[in-house]
This record gives sequence, C-alpha cells and structure tokens, in this order.
Amino acid sequence: MEKQKKIIVLCGGKFAFQSLQALAYEKFLCGVGIGKGNNRITDALERESQDNHMAFKSFPDKKSINEMRAWLDEVQPDYIFSISFPFLIPEDVLSYGHEKFINFHPGPLPQYRGPMPIFEVLKNQETQTAICAHLMSSTFDQGNIIFNDIVQIENKDNYGRLAVKLSNRMAHTVLNMANMVQFASTIPNKPQEESEAYYFEKPDFTDTYINWRRMGAEEIISLINACNPWNIGADATFQGEQVKIIAASIVDESHKSKTPGTIVSLTTENSINIACSDDKQITIEIMSTDDGIIASKQFNPHRYLIGACFN
Amino acid sequence: MQTIGILLARSTFYHTIGFDLYEGLRQRLKQLGRSDIKIVTENIGFGADKQQCYRSAEKLLLEENVSLVIAYIGHRTAQLLRPLFLSANKMLIVLDAGANLPQEWSASPNIFYHSLHNSLGAWLAAKQAVKDGYKNGGMVTGYYDGGYLQTFSISKGFEGAGGKICFNHATGYKKEDFTMLPLKSFLKEFDNTALLTLFSGDYMQWNFEEIRETINKNTPIYLSPFGFEETMLETAIHPNTKTKGVAAWAKSIKNDENSLFIETIESIGRTPNLFSLLSWESAQIALKVLDLLNANNNNILLTAQDLYTFEFDSPRGKIKFHAETNTSIGQLYNAEIIASNDGKCQVRIDEAIIDTAEEFETMTQLELDNISSAWHNSYTCI
Repeated sequence: MEKQKKIIVLCGGKFAFQSLQALAYEKFLCGVGIGKGNNRITDALERESQDNHMAFKSFPDKKSINEMRAWLDEVQPDYIFSISFPFLIPEDVLSYGHEKFINFHPGPLPQYRGPMPIFEVLKNQETQTAICAHLMSSTFDQGNIIFNDIVQIENKDNYGRLAVKLSNRMAHTVLNMANMVQFASTIPNKPQEESEAYYFEKPDFTDTYINWRRMGAEEIISLINACNPWNIGADATFQGEQVKIIAASIVDESHKSKTPGTIVSLTTENSINIACSDDKQITIEIMSTDDGIIASKQFNPHRYLIGACFN
Repeated sequence: MQTIGILLARSTFYHTIGFDLYEGLRQRLKQLGRSDIKIVTENIGFGADKQQCYRSAEKLLLEENVSLVIAYIGHRTAQLLRPLFLSANKMLIVLDAGANLPQEWSASPNIFYHSLHNSLGAWLAAKQAVKDGYKNGGMVTGYYDGGYLQTFSISKGFEGAGGKICFNHATGYKKEDFTMLPLKSFLKEFDNTALLTLFSGDYMQWNFEEIRETINKNTPIYLSPFGFEETMLETAIHPNTKTKGVAAWAKSIKNDENSLFIETIESIGRTPNLFSLLSWESAQIALKVLDLLNANNNNILLTAQDLYTFEFDSPRGKIKFHAETNTSIGQLYNAEIIASNDGKCQVRIDEAIIDTAEEFETMTQLELDNISSAWHNSYTCI
C-alpha cells in the first residue's frame, strides 16, 4: 500500500464543505485555504482546521496570493484541489508541482467556462450539467480535462437547488479524484477542444433582464430559475418600477396576439398571467418589488393590472 | 479486433468463480457468433484492495486498450473506478451480486450494473413471509453476510409489510464460532416467527446443518437469492423445515435460453451457476454497448440513453434496465427448497414474481438513515 496522499483544498466557502468533510473522513485532507470568504465561514474553517490539526490559510484578497507558495512549501501537500476558489493561481505557485493542481469546475468544460456556470446552464435550458475535474493552468478554466462527471438537471431546479445538488455531488467527485491520485499510475487528461469552448463572463443586468419581445415562455422561466436566489429573481420593469420575478410557471394557452409583456388575465388565485413572445403565457407566483418580496396576489390590489405591460 | 476486458475476483468458498465468470462470457460470445472478440482478464483478488482494483482496470484501459470492461465488483469499487472510466470515455459493466445497498444510486453514463438482486430478493422474501401469516421475524445472518446492507432491505421489507423484527442473530464466521443455538431461546419467547436468513456459500450449508439440529419443524426459513445457489445446495443437508424465499435463477426454469445456457456450460465440463449466468448475460449487454458506441461515434451519453431501452431474453427471463439507477432488472422467482431423495437440497421454482421493477423502484427510495457497510470486497469473495 502506497503512502496516503496529502491534499490541500482551496475553496471559496460553504459550497466546498461536504467535499472537505469527505476528504477529511478518508484522511486525504491536510490543509484548507479559503479565498475571499466571509468572516463567519473563515472563522469556522479555521477552528475546524485547528481542532483537526490541519493547516489553514485565509486569502482575503488577490494580493494575499503572494503568500500561497510559501504556505505550500511549508505544508508540502501532494496535490492541491480547488473548489470555487475565487482567485487565479499564478505561475509561480503552479510551479510547486507539475499536474499537482486540480480544479473542480461546477459546469461542463470546455462549453461553460466562466465564474457562474450554474446560472448559464439553467438560462440555456440544458437538461444536464457536469462537474469538470481539470488540471489548472495560469488561465481560468483552460487546463487539460481529466473528466466531466455528469449531473442531471430537473425542471424544478433553480440556481439554489442546483448549487446544493452540485455541492452534494462534488463531495463524491472530489473523493473519487482523491482515490484516482492515490491509486493511478498516471492522471489521464487531454487538452480542451477549443472549437467547443465558450467563456461566459459574470452575468450583468443585461443577462438577468427579461426581454419580453424576444423571449418565449420557457426561456423566461429558465432565466427566472437561473436568477433565484443569487440575484433574487429575473429583472423586469413594471410601470417604471424595477421588479424581480422570483417564481413563475408556464401557462400553455394562447394570449391571442397580445403584445409580449402584457398582463392578460388574473387567475382565481390572483396570480398574474403575462403574454410571451411565443404565444404562451407565464403566471407569476412571487415577485420582489419596492414593497418587498410578495406573492402576486398581494401585488394585485394596488393597481388596475389587466392590459398593463411589463417591459 | 475488438477486445473486452474482464476483472475477475476470487473466493475461497466459490473457488471456481473466476473460471465461471470467464467461461460464461466466452461461451455466450462464441454462441452468438462473436469468437472474434478477444477477452483480456485481470485478477482483482477479493475485490477489497482498492489499489489492485484500480491498477487492474487501468491496465485494461490504458495498456490493453479494451473497448469496455466487465467486472464482478460492488457499487463502492465501481465508484472508485468512475473517474478512470469517465476520463477514458469507456464503459464499465458491473456484475453485481446486489447484496449491498449503495449510499447513492448515482447514475454515471459510463457505469451500468447488471445485478442478481440479492437485496431485492431479500426484500421480497421478507414480504412474502408476512403474506404467509408470520408477523414476528428474526433476522439470522453471520459476521460476513450481515456486513452487507441486504440486512437493511430484508428488515425493512418485513416491517414495511406489517411484520415486526423481534430479534437479530449474527453468528461467527469460523466453523467453531458458527452457531444457531441462540435461536432456541428466541423462538421460545416469540411465537409464530419466521427466520429471515441471509447466508451464502459454506455458511448456508452450516446454517442448514445447525437449523436441523436446533429448531422445530414449524419454524419457516425465508431466503434471499444466494440461499438458492444450487452448487452449494447440492451438498447441503435439508434443514427439515419449510424453507422458501426468492430465487434469481435455477436450472429448473423452463425456457429456451436457460436450456441453451445449461447445455453450453455443461458441454465444456462445468456446472452452470449464478456467476456463469451473470457473465453469460453480460455478453449480450457488452455486444449491445459495442454496437451502440459504434453507432453513436463513441458518445457515451447517447450510448447510455439507447441502452435504457434495451431488453433481452436471458436464462432467467426478460432483462431490462432501470434508467434512474443504470441497473438491470431481471425476473425473480418465488421458490422453495425441497429435500432430494438423499436428503440433500434442491430448488423448486413455484412462480415468477411479476412486479420486480416496481418493487426495485420502492426499495431504491429507502432512506439508509446514515447506516453504511464496511465491506469493500465483491459479495461472496472472501
């Protein structure tokens, strides 16, 4: 039996917690680094690390990455796993060891490079996503791929649910990877297919805004799910007020050529039905308005709604 | 030439298991006119050494460049191999005794489980006991067999049907420690009790010997599929009490596929058993996978999707796949162990169970309540 490999995990917060537990339980974990974490999570991780005699280091900003190489030289891990670590690892740190840095990207590569693949796969109505284990290079998400571990997306999944699902799955994937580095004679990997690659920037307002004229009902629902809860919901404007639509569902019923964005009817439960560009409707269940987060029936009494238009 | 790799386990009480697994596959490929396919074997010992399992699979994939791998392993070892197969874009067909319940019924497109469903059979046997009127149950197993979560399925099956587990007896794994004596006092204390029994191999024989000496004729024994393994039963003394349960296969199942399987295996001087059956069946799955990989340009996701609708007739009846768990569902049978003329055991198949897929679906929904199995080896490989 070969000596148990020692692994440091660089993470960004609670998304990595289950993976840390799994690696610690199997005695692979020798240290934890956290980037840009909030005080509560950083303190908790530091305490747990101390209690379990593991190395710990906080990297609160980009500048603090300068201290990483010395820390690695001191701890001497066999491998460094990165799970949603927010900073790019520079060449002088990567030179600690060839093929020693492995990132776990919460989306399929090379198709979904970028900082928020969970948002992008939901917005693009994918039916499955992946956790991609890849070697790290000095550019984000571009190192050689070891494997893409497929995760199914269900209709009910929004950003929050899918993130939890991926976090749970991540623990298995990370442990499988740890076993691979423990037992494999080589880590199989191959370059990313650049013709299939796409880098998605961090979404901004134009990405989270509902374009009623262009988007069909399913696209809008996917965008709403993709925005809940990190952006509260999908952005829209109603009578000059910025609102966010948090939960909605499709009504497969013609709106008889109403302008997209128009409120077609109110249901018996006082939900609001809105015309979409593909002659289907969506019914809004929960919104965030200046009045706070409300069920759509609470939105109703204030105004005369039928015929009014979201834009 | 295409090559199939097979990871072979060994077992002290099923000492021919490696040959059985190999010959089942080889003979079925030959019988299907595919002798052109080369089979490469690797030994994984008892299947408990992670490094040996990983390196053997790695060798088949990277050095032998096999098109797919067949392995007699459990879920846990399959999970260990998952990243290797994902990375290599190759398919792993797990020949699974079905004795364990996994912590997660994860469906990786690269791994399909072809199962003998020992846990499902145990679940169904326990339900049958309640249906037969036994409201009290005692789970009887041993240090080895009791280490797999078939214990959970047999208990939950019994309780879910309205029965109550009144006692558990787990005996030792050495002959000198193996005893059924504690059952005497349990059975005095609890009336109308069925013994829900989980053993395999030699343990099953020891169990029958001790039962015959220890308990009265009125206490029935309910068995899981490995309790009906016929090579072991041939030399086992009948326990002299009603002994029934759920079997995965028996030589006496009447269908053309079974006749062909038995004739073919016997023609090479071997005795057909559960292991040669499992690998015999896996040949058809392997050929289908090879065809699909070819048709789908080696796209594993498309191949997996197409495999979900694949069905075939096997010696134990129709086999199809449960898409949520990538697990094959085969026919199971209500069966009884009767005494042969010389007082040994033989299997009598009573009837096919019609709703195995629905029962499997229900069993996969069981919450394991944080229990887990510590056994890494392939079932019966000790």
